This record gives sequence, C-alpha cells and structure tokens, in this order.
Amino acid sequence: MSEALHFRHIGKSFVRPQNGHVETVLRDFNLDIARGELVALVGPSGIGKTTLLHIAAGIEEPERGTIGFAEGSKGRVGMVFQQPRLLDWISVRANVDIAADAAGIDRSRGRAALRAVGLAEYRDAYPLTLSGGQRQRVALARAFAVMPDFLLLDEPFSALDELTARQLRLLLQNLWIEDVPTGLLVTHNMLEAAFLADRVIVLGGRPAQITKTFEIDLPRPREPEDARIFALHRQIIAALS
Amino acid sequence: MTSVDNVAKNALPALGADRETRLPSLWVSWLLTRALPAATFCVLLVAAWQFMSVRLATPLVPDVAEIGRDIARIVADGMAAKQIGITLWRILVGFSLAFAMSLSLGIMAARSVIVRSFLEPAIVLGLTVPGLVWALLCVIWFGVSLWTAVVSIALGITPALILNVIQGVQSVDAQVVEMAHVFRLSRAAKLRYIWIPSLVPFLFSGARLGFSLAWKVIVLVELFGLSNGVGYQLNSEFSSQNVSGVVAWTIVFWVVMSVIEYGVLQSLERRSRNWQRTSKV
Repeated sequence: MSEALHFRHIGKSFVRPQNGHVETVLRDFNLDIARGELVALVGPSGIGKTTLLHIAAGIEEPERGTIGFAEGSKGRVGMVFQQPRLLDWISVRANVDIAADAAGIDRSRGRAALRAVGLAEYRDAYPLTLSGGQRQRVALARAFAVMPDFLLLDEPFSALDELTARQLRLLLQNLWIEDVPTGLLVTHNMLEAAFLADRVIVLGGRPAQITKTFEIDLPRPREPEDARIFALHRQIIAALS
Repeated sequence: MTSVDNVAKNALPALGADRETRLPSLWVSWLLTRALPAATFCVLLVAAWQFMSVRLATPLVPDVAEIGRDIARIVADGMAAKQIGITLWRILVGFSLAFAMSLSLGIMAARSVIVRSFLEPAIVLGLTVPGLVWALLCVIWFGVSLWTAVVSIALGITPALILNVIQGVQSVDAQVVEMAHVFRLSRAAKLRYIWIPSLVPFLFSGARLGFSLAWKVIVLVELFGLSNGVGYQLNSEFSSQNVSGVVAWTIVFWVVMSVIEYGVLQSLERRSRNWQRTSKV
C-alpha cells in the first residue's frame, strides 16, 4: 500500500508552567501511514499523542523534523475534536457548509454528510438546541463534508456516554467504509482503538517512543461484540501496563 | 446560492407549534417582570419629586405639573424635536468615528502586545481625563463647528470602547480558532463567522456605554461653545433661572435615549443572541 502521510525525525518540547523546566515530549519520532489506513495512537496521558495529532493538523509546529503528505494529495484535513467545536451562532447546515466552502467542495457533499449522520431534519437548528451526541454527529459530518485526505480524530467520543459513543463508532465505521480516507486516531479507549483502527501504536517512555504495534487485519464492517476485538483489547491493555 | 445565515427561527416543528400557545403567557411575563417594575420606578420617582416640591415649597424644586407644562411647550412648538435632532446627529457622527477607530485599534491591540503597550498610556489618559477637559479644549481649538462636538465625543469615548473591543477579541474561544485553522477557513470567513459574532456582545455593551458617555460630553460642548442643541437649551433655561425648563429638557432627552436603548440597541442585541439557549431556572 502506498504511503499517504509520514512523520520524520519529529522533535517537540514544552516548557512546564509549574517550574519552567523544558520537557522533551518527542525526539526523533518517525511514523508512516499508508493510504486508506486508520492508525490509532494509544498510551498514557501526556505522552505526546495529541501533540502528534496537532502537528499533523498544523495547530503546532515541530521544532525538528518534517511531516509529509503523498504526492498528488490535496492535503485536505478533516478533524473531529474531543468537543464538537461548532459555531453555536450559526445553523448546523452553516457549520458544515463553511468547512466545505473552505475546502472547495460542493455544499451538496455537506448535505449528504448530514443525512449520513442522521441529522438532515436538524439542518436549520442551532447547535445549542442539540444533544451532546447530536453535536458530535455534526462534527463528524463537518469532517467528512470536506472529503478529507486525512481524517484526524482526537478522542472524538470520550466526552459522550458509552451508548452514544458506541453508536457513533459504528457511524464512523460506516462513513469510513464509504470514503476510505487516511486517518489518525488518538484515544484512551482501547476497545475503540481495536474496533476502528487498522493498526494500533502503543507509545511509551519520555520522549515518546513506539513500544508496540498491533496490526488489525479484520475486514470491515466489524462488529463491536467480535471476540477477536475483545482479545486485541486485552493485548493492548497488557502492552500498556 | 443559499446563505448559510438563513437560519429558520423554528427549526423544530414541535417548538414552532408551541410558540403560538406560549405567546400570551410570554406577554404577561414581560408585563410583570419588565414593564411593571420599570413603570413602578417612574411613578415612585414622580411621586417623590412631587412630595419634595410640596414640602419644600421653593421655585428651585418646581412641581410636576409645571414641569409637565414646560415639556408640553418644548414638544408642541417643535423645539424639542429640532434641538434633540441636532444633538443626536452630533452624537451619531462622533460615536461612529469613535466606534470605527476603536474597532480597528482594539483588534490590533488585542492581537499584538506591542500595539497594546503602545496604546496603553493613551487609554489610561483617555479614561482619567474628564469629558469637561475635552469639551473645553475642542471649543478652543475648533470654535463653533461640528468638529468640536465630533472630536470631543471621539476623544471622550474611544478609550472605553477600545477596552471593550480588546476584551471581546480576547474572549474568542481558542478552540474555535484552532478548528477554523484546521479546516482552513479564509480570513473573510473567520472574520464573518468567528470574530464578529464573538465581538457582538462586547460591541453592544460598548455602544451602550459609548452613547451614555457621548451624551455627557456633548452637553458640555454645547453648553460652552455651541449655539444650539440640548446642552445649549439647558444652559439657556439655567440662565433664565427656569429650573422647570432644565428638568423638562432633561426628561425629553432621557425619553429619546430610552427609546434608542430599548427600541434599537436592546432589540438588535436580542436578535443577535437568538441562537443562545436560556436557562429556565
């Protein structure tokens, strides 16, 4: 499979506000992601998972190293954050449309994405009139409305109750099957990582290094109750602990 | 192309149907919680004034009927409309200039520490210098002209407005700004969909503060250096030792400013906030 995104020799440090000490989170970090692959990053809190995601999203600049996209890629990024990060003063439809407009994608794509997440009838509602799960669905629709080459998922369902999170994981899987972008998922939920990802990367140490990699060769659509996913879940937990 | 702002007020049919049945109770609620307390205050104020007037029995505190006659006089002969129009025009021009300057300087100051540090002494100076000083200086510099009013209002209210804009820009949610960056929203889209909507509440409170400060400054300017406007009329009534006339002009102008506050500013502010969910507790 051809490479879609790579991190090469990435270095990143932060100054601790408590004591002013410089802490190196990433040093000489390398990762290749193949086209159409969904990679999950798991590891302890503060290890640098979100930093990597932010570097991929362009929110943060690495001090050293480069991040590269495959030739021919338009580099369109769709992102689902832990919180929906919607503009509450414009409608659901407008939230999706402005992202599609910015990416140069026809707005009909946004309408289709809203239908796919089951929110077509709420398109004219303001986000604050929706539930937490519905708001996160809008965030999913916005991410897919831009026809992303890269889908970045930053603990996308961690703020939701388990039942809603489970529904949205299934929804994300369906959207993924239709579009097959390349993706990077950061999560603390190992079952979520095992269910959604093609590869789970366990990070450990400081600066963060890849301590273990799990290739998940299960065809989609996957069932959340699949015993193989539960088995993987246990292996990932074991690798972390 | 469909405008993305074209948001239906009644997005959910169930809520839309509910609105009609709730209308009478909303009116009753508005009367009881908004109109009645305000009206009670006005009645109490008039009663207290009348009581004071009767008790003191001095021409320095004219009774309510006399003030009412003076109000009727200045309204009936068209003097009130003409003079208030002149004063409001001066306020509007001065306020617009101050608002435009504050918006651009405020955004720059909020985005750049250097600009903020550069403007800080000017803001502190502007906040501490009384409006009277600006009024006197502008009368000396510009004489009897519109510039006297416009410049003194602008100098008087710009510092407070800049502070409002700085607070507004700094209150913009950093997470939303990051989202806009990731989805590569253009500058124009960021301005239209993020910066201006986030600034709106601060612009309204700034406008309200600006109007009240502008009124205080313009009265002084008209009193010292101009030959018309409400301030000039107040001075004229004062020179004739007509306390009732001074109070009448004050009341008429207060009514006009209240119409602007309740009829224009608050109405626009409500419209700009109709996306917000209100608490029932």
